[in-house]
Amino acid sequence: MNIYQPLLTTVTEVVDETADTRTLRLEFQDEALRKDFSFKAGQFGEYSVFGAGESTFCIASSPTREGYIECSFKAIGKVTTELREVNIGDTVGFRGPYGNWFPVDDWKGKDVVFVAGGIGLAPVRCVIWNVLDRRDEFGDVTIVYGARSVDDLVYKRELEEWGSRADVKMVTTVDPGGETKDWTGEVGYVTPVVEKTAPKADNAVAVVCGPPIVVKLTLPVLEQLGFADDAVFTTLENRMKCGLGKCGRCNIGPVYVCKDGPVFTAAQMKALPAEF
Amino acid sequence: MSDRYFISDSDLRGLAADLLGAGTEVIAPVATDICQSPSAIAATACTLDHSLVDIDYRALTSADELDLDRGLPQLSLKGYFLPEHEALCSWKQKGTTIEVEEVPTEFAARVVLAAKPCDAAALEVVDKVMNWDYKDELWNGRREATTIVNLTCPMIDDSCFCTAVGTAPDDVKGADGLLTPVAGGYVYEPATDKGRALIEGNKARFSGDVEADTLGREADDERAASRRRVAANLEIDAESVRDWIDTHFEDPLLSQLAIRCNGCGACTSVCPTCHCFDIVDEQEGVGHGTRRRCWDTCQAPTFTLHASGHNPRDDQHVRYRQRINHKFAIYPLKFGEVLCTGCGRCTRVCHAGQDLVEILQAIDIAARRPGDADPAAAEPEEAAS
Repeated sequence: MNIYQPLLTTVTEVVDETADTRTLRLEFQDEALRKDFSFKAGQFGEYSVFGAGESTFCIASSPTREGYIECSFKAIGKVTTELREVNIGDTVGFRGPYGNWFPVDDWKGKDVVFVAGGIGLAPVRCVIWNVLDRRDEFGDVTIVYGARSVDDLVYKRELEEWGSRADVKMVTTVDPGGETKDWTGEVGYVTPVVEKTAPKADNAVAVVCGPPIVVKLTLPVLEQLGFADDAVFTTLENRMKCGLGKCGRCNIGPVYVCKDGPVFTAAQMKALPAEF
Repeated sequence: MSDRYFISDSDLRGLAADLLGAGTEVIAPVATDICQSPSAIAATACTLDHSLVDIDYRALTSADELDLDRGLPQLSLKGYFLPEHEALCSWKQKGTTIEVEEVPTEFAARVVLAAKPCDAAALEVVDKVMNWDYKDELWNGRREATTIVNLTCPMIDDSCFCTAVGTAPDDVKGADGLLTPVAGGYVYEPATDKGRALIEGNKARFSGDVEADTLGREADDERAASRRRVAANLEIDAESVRDWIDTHFEDPLLSQLAIRCNGCGACTSVCPTCHCFDIVDEQEGVGHGTRRRCWDTCQAPTFTLHASGHNPRDDQHVRYRQRINHKFAIYPLKFGEVLCTGCGRCTRVCHAGQDLVEILQAIDIAARRPGDADPAAAEPEEAAS
């Protein structure tokens, strides 16, 4: 089987997160693969609708939840528009897992801070569940999540679940004007809310993901709070085709997002040329 | 056993004929009428001068087509290993189930005769991309099935610069043997087992030891002369060029050098080392189709365009910088050599006059300029590892 040949999965669950964002649960059709497939938090795959092509997303489910993978995507391009049309029982192609991962095992005993904006919660959700499913191995867990409006918040059921847990500090925020009458969370952009939440940086790591502006503005805030550049992690994306370090388009200077990433520390980000 | 043999011009054609007779595909430079549809158009309305020819690598239909005395073929050998488009798999839909069919990764044996050394060397350069981590079986399958015999370059022009980028007009890099023209024929020097097998299978066509005699000396002189001819075109210090590009990402010189480029992408098509590709689905009817890999070009804005509308390389000079950067810094930092074999096709094909010989010279001069030494240049970033 050549490296570009997709594995076949069956859609077993479809969740509409927002008006244009959807989560699919996928189970490998091959029984052995369904049992043995493993990946690490932060890795990505190439998902395909036959006839439309392949598209790149992180695996949004946690490696601790076996037997399936999930992906969340916004229906915005050619493949994602078609992917939004698939139903339970349909076949979706998958290649992966590719790329590096969040070094979750190195974080044992540390506090973990998650900062996400919009659909940027998808790759972070994978890490959140990975940490929560092994809750006693880590210190305090703080999640700051923001979206443009209440309607744009993804994984709403899980936000509630995380918010109701005593062992998670959950802060949800929407941009000014995006709140509803019964909104009880914060109102404001993610970055000032992180500043206000002020998670302590001692013996802590932070995971940041979101639109480029959220990442760009949040990194200095974390630095101010005392987080070292190698204790702050993010996951980057670029247009990809192969995911295997061959098709030649996802590089930022000498760094290939598909192979050297997608997970980078703030220290690594700072060393990259301004090309993303 | 001697490593050099003589083969006459007629025996070389005979060898091609024998291979064809045995059902082996033989790919070689062929002169083609510049009017591509000779039967239908040329006979009637075509007003082109039919004494003009293009030279192309073609699968021979007869040994008579072999044309060894001309310059570089229009396109490199790349397409015989990474076709312009090729199937990666095909699918058939039955209800909600989909069956995916694999494509074969084993290929019939074939021989390339009279490959240009820059084109064969390019295959070895791209081998590294196709094998550094995941192995590309489609590329490797074609590589393994192919015996490549180079021909010491008979025609060198002022766009050639192979000697400046670590190869030579008489190199066997990426090939299995080398032919060098001498009086009455060629001296053949096998370089690999595949190159030696060509003699074993066709012993009567080759004659013995030419190491010490005049033919051997004639071949040596011819090889040295062709190297001198290319070396006169360009000399650069590839390591300083690499380090300068790596540490001068925002340098205005790189934008200035890109000023004539209008992003047509012709350079990447004709380039023997440009290997970037797209993967697309081709629906061939209701419920069935083929997933294909196609050549792509880093010079097109869509190459890096995100679905959101964001484009990390949203300007032509930035895309041109990417091409220079990939060839002379990114690839070298990862693999040690450059992603260029100096064939000069990009220069010859560019309708805007972008000249890679001039561009490399300008960067080489910048890299040697005193006072411009960047301390970081001494320590290339390890991110490429």
